[in-house]
Amino acid sequence: MLSRIKPLLAERLVARHCLGALLGVSVLFGAASARAQVAALDLNSALFVEPSKRSGLTVWNPSAVLAVTPTNWLTVQGGYEADIVSGASESVKGGRLSSVDIVTSATHFSDTRHALTGGFTVTRATTHLSGSYTYGTEHDYRSNSFAVSAGTDFLQKNTQIELSYGRGFDQVCTTAYAASDAPSSRLALDNSRGCFTNDKKRASRDISLNNFQVGWTQTWTPVFTTQMVLSAALQHGFLANPYRSVVIASAGDQALENHPEDRARGAIGLRGKYYARGLQTAFSASARLYRDTWDIFGQTYEVDAERYLVPWLRVLVRGRYYTQTKALFWSDDYTGGEPETGPRGKYWSGDRELSPLSSYLVGARALATREGKPGQRVLGLFLSFSGSVSFDLLKTNLRDFTLGGHAPDDTLALLWSLGFRGEF
Amino acid sequence: MKYLEPRVLSKAFGLMIAAVGLMTSAGCATVRPEQRAILADPTMQFDQKSADRAALEHVLDNREGSTGGGSVRGGGCGCN
Repeated sequence: MLSRIKPLLAERLVARHCLGALLGVSVLFGAASARAQVAALDLNSALFVEPSKRSGLTVWNPSAVLAVTPTNWLTVQGGYEADIVSGASESVKGGRLSSVDIVTSATHFSDTRHALTGGFTVTRATTHLSGSYTYGTEHDYRSNSFAVSAGTDFLQKNTQIELSYGRGFDQVCTTAYAASDAPSSRLALDNSRGCFTNDKKRASRDISLNNFQVGWTQTWTPVFTTQMVLSAALQHGFLANPYRSVVIASAGDQALENHPEDRARGAIGLRGKYYARGLQTAFSASARLYRDTWDIFGQTYEVDAERYLVPWLRVLVRGRYYTQTKALFWSDDYTGGEPETGPRGKYWSGDRELSPLSSYLVGARALATREGKPGQRVLGLFLSFSGSVSFDLLKTNLRDFTLGGHAPDDTLALLWSLGFRGEF
Repeated sequence: MKYLEPRVLSKAFGLMIAAVGLMTSAGCATVRPEQRAILADPTMQFDQKSADRAALEHVLDNREGSTGGGSVRGGGCGCN
């Protein structure tokens, strides 16, 4: 892409003026369509595939959102999405000293999560207020979440502050152990039959979620803008996987994964966007630092570049690097006598997302947009429509995590996404 | 009662001073409405709510031990 840069100054000036004219026209068209807009429909579909010989995973995620703007200050929206999951996973986690055959314990599963959402946004000259409610359900998990956010512009609209708060009331299905039962005697679920019924072998446990966020967006020059986001989250309740057992004794004794019931999480994200006139490309770079009370420290670094190939088609390429330390109580094995492979306090986990890991991601997206001319609709129906296609590849490096001493083979993930948006 | 170490306090104080200084300097940045053509373009806006980004965040939330600090709405033409 960079090799296509025009080196001559005159050509750059012409291109700059053309771009300015193009952007000016698009602003006018955008403003016009925003005033006239009655409804917008978003249809999306994503496919996630994690290939593996024994524990592959496929998730199909279709979604639809309809937003209606009856007046220029109010938007009401409703949507539906599903996660259709099928694959296999190891139900028992043991480490390098394990006497249990972990790899062949992989069992097949499938489930579908349905989520319905509704919300509104009120927009005034320099402020906006949004509220939404989402209900999610699957065989072994239910969620109710509310979210509100408010934002304002000031300093001649060069500064924007956004505050948001989310509250979740979730329930997860587990086996019917009593709170007084020793954690080492608790059993994992082997299937979701009987969940959220009167079945005496099942119980539902609460999870309480609180999320806070504040964002500051600042425009510094006509081609440079930055954003800082601070996030905090409080979680309380059953925070383990109800299906996962962990080998906790050298004789092969297993117990339900046992995580702390409280987790406080904090993150700061810093990002900047810069438009390089000479390259006619918008560059973005971001860094995110994360810390929680389970002692995980995460760092994320991301860059992307986006430019128009032709006025109706733009292409984005992105790269991302992530690394994290392990949770304080995480170990690949809990059955040894020494600190590294022996007991680590009162908790045990088989969750690889709590292990020390790093990951690389590369991806690309193409997005085509067609705007109707004033007084005319595209295909006789749309004020505008756009379609996008993307592909991302994620490779994870699990530094210490093993399944009975064997490195997992499901560390490469592929994600395809298709999207369509029509305003009419 | 556990007290914060002086080293932590001085770091926090330094960060607060830096944050206040940065936010104060924001008042000096003046971009007039007629200079916002490029900023108004979708490529220069944060949180474009694109389908691919939402799907990607969904995957990463389930494959990593951290979350939060993501992009929020911001930037743009300021032409509401």
